Amino acid sequence: MAKFINYQNLDFKLNSQNFYANKISLSINASVDPVLVSDGTLLDYAPQGSLVGSLSSDFYLTGSLPNFLDITGTNSEKITGLFGGVQIDNLYAKSLSFSVEPFQPIILSVEFDWYGRLSIQNLEEQTVSERNNKASPQYIANAYRSSMTNAGLDGVESIVNFSYNSSCDRPAFFKVDEIVPFRVAKLNKKAEISLSSNDLGDSIDIDGKTVNTTLTLKDLYNTSLQVFYVSGVMNNQKYDISEGGYLLTSANIFQQVTEAKYLI
Amino acid sequence: MSYLISGLNIKNISEYDNSFLYSPYDIIDYQLNTGISVMPNYTGFGITGLTTWFSNDSLNNFLTDTSFRVTGWLNNVSGSGNLFTENSDVNSRGNIDFDQSYITLSDSQVLSGSGFNSDSRILLLAFEVITPTNFNEQTIFKFGTGDSNGFLKVKGRDELFSAKFVLDNQEFNAISSVYDDKNIVTLIQNSSNSSLKIRQNGYELGTYSSFNDYWKSGELTLGSNPGNVGIRYHEIIHFTGSLNSDQIDQYEKYLFEKYFKNDGLYFAKNNVPQGSEYSPITYTGKNYWTKNINDLFFLSYGSSASFSAKLSPLTFGDGYKTNITNGINTLNSKFNIIYDGLTDLQAKALIAYFENTPQSQSKSDYEGFKGVDLNLFTPYKQDCETYFLNINHSTPYNDINKINIEAEALYESCLNYKGMYVLLDEKNIRTYTDTTFEFAYNDVFYYPSNNFSERGYYFYTGQAKGVAQGSTGPLLPQNSPTGANTYFSRDFYFKQDIEYDISENIRIRTVDFKNSTKEYKKDGEYPNIFEFEVTFSKRSNKEALAILKFLDDKAGFKIFNYTLPQPYNKTIQVYCPEWNHTYQFYDNNSISAKFIQFNNKFSSSTVFNSLITFTS
Repeated sequence: MAKFINYQNLDFKLNSQNFYANKISLSINASVDPVLVSDGTLLDYAPQGSLVGSLSSDFYLTGSLPNFLDITGTNSEKITGLFGGVQIDNLYAKSLSFSVEPFQPIILSVEFDWYGRLSIQNLEEQTVSERNNKASPQYIANAYRSSMTNAGLDGVESIVNFSYNSSCDRPAFFKVDEIVPFRVAKLNKKAEISLSSNDLGDSIDIDGKTVNTTLTLKDLYNTSLQVFYVSGVMNNQKYDISEGGYLLTSANIFQQVTEAKYLI
Repeated sequence: MSYLISGLNIKNISEYDNSFLYSPYDIIDYQLNTGISVMPNYTGFGITGLTTWFSNDSLNNFLTDTSFRVTGWLNNVSGSGNLFTENSDVNSRGNIDFDQSYITLSDSQVLSGSGFNSDSRILLLAFEVITPTNFNEQTIFKFGTGDSNGFLKVKGRDELFSAKFVLDNQEFNAISSVYDDKNIVTLIQNSSNSSLKIRQNGYELGTYSSFNDYWKSGELTLGSNPGNVGIRYHEIIHFTGSLNSDQIDQYEKYLFEKYFKNDGLYFAKNNVPQGSEYSPITYTGKNYWTKNINDLFFLSYGSSASFSAKLSPLTFGDGYKTNITNGINTLNSKFNIIYDGLTDLQAKALIAYFENTPQSQSKSDYEGFKGVDLNLFTPYKQDCETYFLNINHSTPYNDINKINIEAEALYESCLNYKGMYVLLDEKNIRTYTDTTFEFAYNDVFYYPSNNFSERGYYFYTGQAKGVAQGSTGPLLPQNSPTGANTYFSRDFYFKQDIEYDISENIRIRTVDFKNSTKEYKKDGEYPNIFEFEVTFSKRSNKEALAILKFLDDKAGFKIFNYTLPQPYNKTIQVYCPEWNHTYQFYDNNSISAKFIQFNNKFSSSTVFNSLITFTS
């Protein structure tokens, strides 16, 4: 019978820091193109770019987020990941998202690009002692105490739920003769919020509606774990009502995150 | 602000100041120190005490014998001591090169004289020690007539903590290169506190605190290093009494500006601490500063090369012609090099580097400035001298920059013993011998032979002969490049892309009857001369090297056979006057080449089928 590797608690580390993940997905993509020659035959398959992998993970927020997961921040350095005994040396975070639903624990989803070769065949099952000795987190973010301020949201009163997504493009730059990039920059950084509320106030204008809001993620005991600031525009409003139900509105808020150049 | 800095379109570049910290990609203009330079005989700041000044500025500075060997070096300060060669042996006299700014004293050659006595003095000496055959002590000069006192010597290997200056028996670690580089050594002799300080290129190496009366002597001797290749003396300046530190800086800078070629822009490649020992010309500073573009930037994929032959075709009618090559450097090579993903700081440094390239020192008095030694991309040469012609800078976002530079290589397409070759990296091209082993498809070999027609480049195509992917070798003689059942080819065996585009213009003449009609006439024989482009996309590095070597070996004008694709299928003779190569990604190259049909046979006995011969 074929052996399937079993995981009870997912061991996932980023830059040696433990993350309590409940899902990890890993994929590798080689971009190749066939080379067809004049006599009609296939000469070879040629690489069009580097091996690019994708790694995504869902994890519980058990403390403040490290700087390297600040997608819209200036830190663009590579991250080292460890999963199932396999180390991935060239991870680059490109999106972070979460949803806050009433009374639900908050699960963060993060996506990475990664480069280089990986000894995926070395994936190992956890030992029983590793599982048993894994420390439990002291804090877990929950929607119960978490909040989104509406002071800067003109007309928005009771927010029922909200979700947050920050993302950026990660263009990779290579030296000739190398397949692992020397730099993976950040480009087109943006943050988005979707929210549901009882009211949205005035409708948006052609240039949207200016919004400033703060998302605070806390655990059940009101310990603040992470704060997100969004200063952008509301660019979409939606009103839903069904027979016998309440009016429920939803809106999207968008922020293009920029960095002012400093004189060099 | 120096003229170098003011000539750049980049802000925030300053002269080097050793009290500052610098970060990677910071740019400085190195000028020894930030003060002014002052001629030794300038007295506008007060009397200086200049008593001796030996220079190479004029023939009048020297006495020579009939062989133009130096018999005397005359002091620019009248009434002061001169230096002479007393020895009647011609070989003991120094050489003077009228094109250079120095006299050389090698082996036992010597110059000596008197009248230089002083208890306290400042002595500045600009000189260059030629790398010796051994690294034993060499005497730069000595005061007095003793055998062990009053000496300034140099010794050791040219590296930190090995290279030393020696005052009598006390050693001082040199901080800058001591061999084959110009140096300014300053001795500050103070009899009131019995201290003799030694500076190299403005940096104080230490103090000799127990100098004796030999150092106060008026006898000065230069050279006398039997068995050594020599010391080049540029200039000696001597002040009696004392000078303040600003004055010493000013005279050192005078010598620096006059003789040093290693001034100009430097780029930080690490975080640079404070201190003059980290200045660009020191042993330590070379780990922190560079003028070498390859230390700072790396080429990106997408870089490309283009070659074109400088030909003067002669047409003979009937589609016949011959190509006259314009000189031995037939091929003109240009490179579009790409630096992508640069930060703003890196882009600033690279643009400044580009703008500063014409300020590079001249190759000689008769040549232009030196180009940029560039490490090109696969499969071209490393350390190839190129000239930067134009730059394109684009930025899609904050702190992300892409810079394209067009560079031309002038001297790399030249004849050598392997025949016509240009910029390909020769280390990847092996010379075939009877013991050569490991062969793979598309391997390129140079086959040396006394037979001109057999000598040249061969391409391993054993795969086509049924030898799978390759052979371990050595090969049997019949499978060698010139064997009866060779595994090699000299033909154009590469297969172009399946997509191709061939257009053809028929060669005809027209006669235009004005206000009426045209008449078409046959333009002699052979009206169908092909001129078309072949492309080789997404090719491996190995195949690209083979294609490029083939074209390069043909030098833009040599004729070879080419079999046209379906539906033509005819083998014609062509030459390839220009081609382009782009390194798209690792193991992914695109090459396009222009082929022009050539009607003459490429044997030595060309026969024109329509040749008219006149008979008497």
